[in-house]
Formats: sequence, structure tokens, C-alpha cells
Amino acid sequence: MNAKVSTAVLLALLFAAGTAVAGELEFKDPSGDDKGHGKLVYPTDKAYQKGSFDLVGVTIDASGGDVEVTVEFASKVEDPWDSKSWGGHGFSLQFVQLYIDQDHKAGSGHGSALPGMNVDFAETARWEKVLLISPQPNSRLKSEIGQKAKAQGKDIVLPKKVKVRGKKIVATFKASEVGTWAKGWGVQALVQSNEGYPTKEDLLSRKVNEYEGEHRFGGGNDFDCDSHVIDMLAGAGKGEAGEAKAQYTALGGFTCDASGKGARAKIDMVYPQ
Amino acid sequence: MTHRLLSPRDRSSGARNASSRACGTWRRPSVVVAALCGAAILAASAPASADIANFDMAGNIYTKWLYRNNDNQGILSYGNPFWPENFSGDNGVGSEFELKLMGTVSEFVEADVRLKSRYGSVWQDFFENGNVSYDEPNTSAESLGLDHGEYVKLRGYRVLIRPPYPYLDQVAVGSTDLSMFNPWSIGKIRYTDRDNTKGVFVQGSGGDRTFEWLAGAIALPKLWAGPGWTTGLGDQALDHPLWAKDWAYGTRLDLNLDDITFTLVGTTTLDYEINRADPDATGALYPNCEDQLGDPIPGCERDHAVDLDERYTNTVGTAEIQFDGIDDVSLHVLGAVATSNIDKRYVTNGVADNAGVFPMPYKDTVDGSARVRAELYEPFGMGDVNVQLEYFYIGPEYVSHFAARREADVLLTDGLIEGGQLPTLNVANEFQDFDEPFYESVIGWHGGTGIVSADLDPVTLKFEQTAIGYATNAQGRDVDSVFPDFLHSEGFTDTVLFDYANVLDRGRDPRSVYRKNQERFTTVSVLWTGLALEALADLQVDFKLKYIRDTDGRDASRQDDNYAADIAYGQLTLTLPVGDELTVGLGGQYDVWLEENRSGNESAGYQDYDTTRVRAFTTLKWVFGGAEFAYIIEYVHKEQERELDDDQVFNVLRSKATLGVSW
Repeated sequence: MNAKVSTAVLLALLFAAGTAVAGELEFKDPSGDDKGHGKLVYPTDKAYQKGSFDLVGVTIDASGGDVEVTVEFASKVEDPWDSKSWGGHGFSLQFVQLYIDQDHKAGSGHGSALPGMNVDFAETARWEKVLLISPQPNSRLKSEIGQKAKAQGKDIVLPKKVKVRGKKIVATFKASEVGTWAKGWGVQALVQSNEGYPTKEDLLSRKVNEYEGEHRFGGGNDFDCDSHVIDMLAGAGKGEAGEAKAQYTALGGFTCDASGKGARAKIDMVYPQ
Repeated sequence: MTHRLLSPRDRSSGARNASSRACGTWRRPSVVVAALCGAAILAASAPASADIANFDMAGNIYTKWLYRNNDNQGILSYGNPFWPENFSGDNGVGSEFELKLMGTVSEFVEADVRLKSRYGSVWQDFFENGNVSYDEPNTSAESLGLDHGEYVKLRGYRVLIRPPYPYLDQVAVGSTDLSMFNPWSIGKIRYTDRDNTKGVFVQGSGGDRTFEWLAGAIALPKLWAGPGWTTGLGDQALDHPLWAKDWAYGTRLDLNLDDITFTLVGTTTLDYEINRADPDATGALYPNCEDQLGDPIPGCERDHAVDLDERYTNTVGTAEIQFDGIDDVSLHVLGAVATSNIDKRYVTNGVADNAGVFPMPYKDTVDGSARVRAELYEPFGMGDVNVQLEYFYIGPEYVSHFAARREADVLLTDGLIEGGQLPTLNVANEFQDFDEPFYESVIGWHGGTGIVSADLDPVTLKFEQTAIGYATNAQGRDVDSVFPDFLHSEGFTDTVLFDYANVLDRGRDPRSVYRKNQERFTTVSVLWTGLALEALADLQVDFKLKYIRDTDGRDASRQDDNYAADIAYGQLTLTLPVGDELTVGLGGQYDVWLEENRSGNESAGYQDYDTTRVRAFTTLKWVFGGAEFAYIIEYVHKEQERELDDDQVFNVLRSKATLGVSW
């Protein structure tokens, strides 16, 4: 961020501090839209059960000393790869990135999602913070961030605690690292899959190819021009049927030419009223 | 050498950009990689060949240092408990290399292979070509055999076909880790064997995955998947073992409705042998269809076809229901039935002839198992309090010899030994290091577990209470010829100072579930507490307190043989992140085991054991730039006071370090 942008963010934060929000923010997402831009299909391995990446709700509780984020899926969150044995948190498959736009100002904040998601944010919906909800231990996340997302590193917030509750994953973040939650902040939750052995550029996310593989999503493009988001919030974040179409449209807004070059899809935040 | 990947490596390909980069940007490619890239480039230039862009590759180097204050040489704490090998031991450092090639053949077909260097060689071997294996090591550089030659072996290969047919998603041919069924029937293969099993699998779905189906045929592993850990080879009952026609078959059906999922799994294993009464068979008893007096045998006729008999069959069916229709409640019900049929003409009785070390009862069995699990999240408005409840019954004659052998856990309880609980006698606590978990058989376990956990930031609490009765309780059970007792069936198992042959008096074998006389009841109580100290640089303090009360009346007609044990220990661990890449840990554990009538026998009587064990350890983990380094060093002091035998003292100092890089 340049100095002008930093100042804007600072002013926004100061303003936000004066209108802090207490209580919970609740977002809904329609079930059955875990198809990215409408055509993505799950990997073929039996570990990827139906509904594993189907986001149906996000709750943010910033009322206490911490920020607690609850992400709910359509099916029970399972742990087929025994995450506890590699220092994980009791789930294996999901990887959620919760982006926060703290000022809703054009040109302010980071414009691109983290490596591997292959989407950009609209100019007025750039993000200041992203909260990672991953089965990986923080040490691994830090190492990957250091290699692949150094520029955004200081704005990436890692959880102090992650737990699984049936169909929900609950992650707790330090409020001091997120900021004091305020009216006007926008939120976007991007769902991907945890990949312990990502490609050189991807930050622990799973590839999307043209054809699905045992451990790769299909329905996309073999190059990296297409969106790799499996599910996300859309519209007003109320879980209405039309939000699925809005998601497909937003994530399908990329272009890919024969050599893999093109423009990435631009997505928006959800700004609660 | 066992180590675990963080998740299954991506196998699908099609990443044209990635493969091009792989060959184009490696500044100093290895000979193998260079050759592969070169071959691929040449192939790409040929008009009829696949393009180089159609394949991707991945590599991994893993190094392990293992040291202990003894004189064993080798780089695997616990190797093969049956066959002698020359790579197990507690002192050495070795490396292994792995290369995976993933290719996209067409829109519908892809393939992958995994090449890996053989473990066993230590750096001090300097140069061993593996050309010859002498009886004793010498300085010829070819005395230790191929295991020390670091040769690269084809470990796995697979072809995946996805034709665009309705209700058919994929056909997989080749290596498999068997993760598609469940731990009760055909279980996921242990990590070290992850590509050794081969099979053919067909799977499909319909209605946007509302229903899914899978069917597979699996080549039965001749080395362990049968009575006596063999499908015939080496069994003294057989003169001409036949193993290449032995298969297992499995099916799975899933019905995924809103908030409720039904899963049915059916598996059967078939171990065939030659019917030697058939004159066409190798080693036929009557090849000319004449008896010993030269008279023709009625019905005997050569037809150039060999009849087969089933040496062993094992059929397992499971039904599962997962229900999530109530907010903050998860319910799971599992029922299982298993049949085990041994043709005694073709199976040596290992219970009688192998000191009770045999992976199933030596008789035909039919039995069932059940498990009901409820998880309640923040019930009755209790914030951040969660409850887990489980009922379990594992039939005393439930036999599933192809079930998960390790790296799975079917019960909520912490168990008697930490690690995992598995519904089979075929548990495999082998090919692992001292710091890896052990697994115990739960055949016959009948009881329940309740766990309450609370998150009272910054303190977390979790308490488990488990009661275990035993469906294996019986008087006068035949452990001489029918039910295997694994020779060592008395005393609390010490998995910290474990040895296969039990020369250290380490207690019960984790597979020993049958005794001649048993009236056993056990309770397990565990308290975990955690404290996160943000003010002290995010220092994490964890404490675990465990108490086991284990009683066994043994022979109900007498009182002087009653076993009663109080097993208790506490473990404290401090974990401190130092910067972004480094995490250090410090811990200690103190055990007290008071066991009345711990060891002995009916005639000589039993003796008491009082055991104390102290363990102190330090850990370190460094994750930097794609490299992961882990280190543990521990000191174990154990005193075993035995009423009749001499007391024993153990002072063990040992360490393990690993470095892994993947690209």
C-alpha cells in the first residue's frame, strides 16, 4: 500500500472504531452451489463427500475480546487424513479464506485474493485483512505465506484456535490483529480445499483443471486464468436462491485464451446493512 | 522408514504450465529428471507421441537421523517382527528419494507412477551397490543386499479412465490405498504400504451425487492377508501354495439425502488353493486317476482344468447412518456383520503350532459389531461446552482380517494405550519409529464413553470417562487350539519401551484379547487441560492426567489369581513458537503402575509388579522455505519391581530427527 492508501485505511479504522459493532453478524449461502462458476466438479476420491465444500453460512462474533468465525457446510466436516497426526485441527479437506474490506473505498487495500484462488476483488471491495481457516498448523501457514504471499503477509491473520463442531468449523482470531469490527465493513468467504502439497504458486489450495482428477477439481481450465473458488457468499448473503446465480456469474467472469492468458474474475464483498 | 505426507499428493495432471516449468526452470536437474525431461521433449517432437505438456512431476527427499544409547545399527525402531532384515535398528541416518510422474493421456485418461529409492542404507555405508548379500557384512561394498543399495523401485502405478457415460464416473486400475471402504471391512492401508495394494475399481453416481456406487477387485496381499499372515505361501499345510488367484472384492453404496447419509459396504476375501484330488493339479494326489493299488478312482478324469478350494473366506458387511438434521447434534450409527471360514485342510493351526500367535480364531465364526455415537455441540445452552457419547460392542468373534491395521481409530476413547483402537486382530505395530503411535485390538470390547469438553478461554478442558466390559469374558476358553492369545496376555502394555519378542517384559501384546479364564472390567478416566498464554509469547501449556482401573477375576473358582491394576500417569508439555518458523517444546511424564497378580500362571501362581516410569523430552520443529525439520530427544527411566523375579531398571536416551523437502 502506498502512503495515500495507508492514510485512508488509518482514517477508516479511526472512523470505524467510533462505530464499533457488537454482537453477531450472520450470513447465509444457498446450498448446492458448490460449483464455483457453475461448472466445477469435486475430485473423484471418496474423501470428497458430497457437500464438503458447500458453504451454507458464516457467523462472525466480534463481541468479545476475540473475533470468532463460524463457517457452516452442508455436510459434516470430516477428517479423512487424520489431521491431528500432522498438527492439524480435526479436519482435512476445507480451506476457507475470510476477506474483510474495512473501508469500502475504491483502490484501497489488496486487489487480488491470495495465490491459488485466482480471483480479484472489485475496486471498491478491496480487502484490508484476510482470516485463514485451514487445517494446517500455523507454522506451515506462516512458511507458505513467507514463500508465496509475502506482499500481503502482514494483513493475513492466522487463528489462535480452530475447532470442528459437526458441520461447522469455528476459528478464533485475536481482535488486536483483525481490528475493532465496525459498521460498513464488507465480508467475503472463499471456500477452497486444503492441499498439503500445493503447486509452486498456490497457497495450500487445490488445483482446478479442465477435467477432475482423484485429488483435483474439474470443470475449469488447465491454466491459471480461471477462478479456483468452489463456493463463496454472494448477493446480500441471505441464502436466497438467486445468490447461487450471482456467484456463478461473478466467478465465471474470467477470460482464458488458448495460451492461458486472460483476465481474472472480479468478485464483490457482502456489506451487511 | 515411515513418515506421513500431509495429505494425498495430487495425482491428476493436465497442468500444462506446471510441467513446462518443471523441465524449463530447474537450474541443476538431477540425472533422472534431466533424462525424463529430455525424453519427454523428444517425445513431444515426434508427431505421433504425447506432448511434453501432458505430464507433471513431483519430487521428495526425506532424511532421518535415529540415535539411542544402545548398539543397534539401523534406521527403523521397529521393523519386521517375523522375518530378519538388516535395516531395523536404533542408530543411523539415511535418506530416500521419491519421484512421481503424472500424465494426461487424453481428455478421459490419465496415469501416474511413483518411483522411490529403497530405504535401509545409512550414510556410513558410503557405497553399497547391493549386488550381493553376504551372510556377514564385509568391505566389498556389496555385502548388505539391495536394501542398502538405494536402488529406485517402482512403488506405484495407476491408470484412471473417466468415460462420459451416465452413472459411471471413473475406472481406476492399479495401485490403491484402499481408503474407499472403512476400517471395519477393508481398511485404508497403512502409510508405508500405500501403493503396494493393486486393484481395479469402478465408481459412479447419479442425481447430482444423491446416490453413489463403487465396486472393486483387489489383489489379496500374499504377505499378510490370510490365516497365519499368508494366503498360502509358507503354510506347512500346503505343498503347492497358490496365491496369484486370490482376490478381495468390495462394494459401497451411498445415499446422500438432506441431513442424512446412508452408507452400505460389503467386502469378501477369497483365498484359493489347488484341489489336489484333481488329477490336473500341480502335485495331484492321483495324477493318473488310480489309487495306491492301481485301481481307477471313480469320477476321476483329467479335463485340463484345475479345481480350486477356498482356503479362507472372510465376508464383512457394514451399514452406516449419519444424521445431521438437528441443529448442533451429530448422530452416527454403525452396524457390522462378519463371517470367517477356514478350510482346515489348507491352514496350519497357528494357535496350536505357533504359540498362540495367529490373526483369527481357528474355526468358522459369525459375529457382529455396533457403534452409536452422538455429538452434542453446546447443548442446553451451555456455551462452548460439547458432549460426545458413544456406545460400542465389538463381537468376540468378529473377524475382519483386511480391516485397518493402523493409522485409524474406530472408538472415541483414549483407550488403554494411546494411538488407536481397531476391530481386528491383524493390528500392525511394525515398520514404525519409537515416537509413532501404537494400536490395540478392541475385539470383544463392550461399553461406553462420555466426553465433555469446555473452552473457557484461555483454558480448555476435556474429560473422558469410559467403561469397558468384555464380550470375550469366559471360563475355560480354548486358547490352546482355537482362540489366539498371542502368547503374552498379562500386564499393562508398555509401548514406550516395546519389543516384539517381549524380552523386556513389556506386558500384554496389543492384539491379545482372549484368555483361558477372564472376568475383566476396565475403566478409563482422562483429563486434558490446555492453557494458552498470550502474554508469554503464546506459550501453550498442556497437561494430561490418565487413570486406568483394570480388573480381571481370571479363574472364577479361585480368588488368589485376581488381577487388579491401578495405572496412572501425568504428562506436562510446554510448546513455544519462536518467530514464524520455529516451535520448541519441553515435556515430562511420570507413570505409576501398581499391578496385583500381574504375571504368572495357574500352577505357579502370580506375582505383583510395581512400575514407575519417568520420561522427559524436548521437541523442535522448523518450517522454512519449503523444508520441514523435526527433532525429538527423550530420556526414559523405568523401574520395574517384581515380587518374584529380579527387578529391572531401564535408562534409555534416544532421539529422532527428520528433514523433508517436496517440490
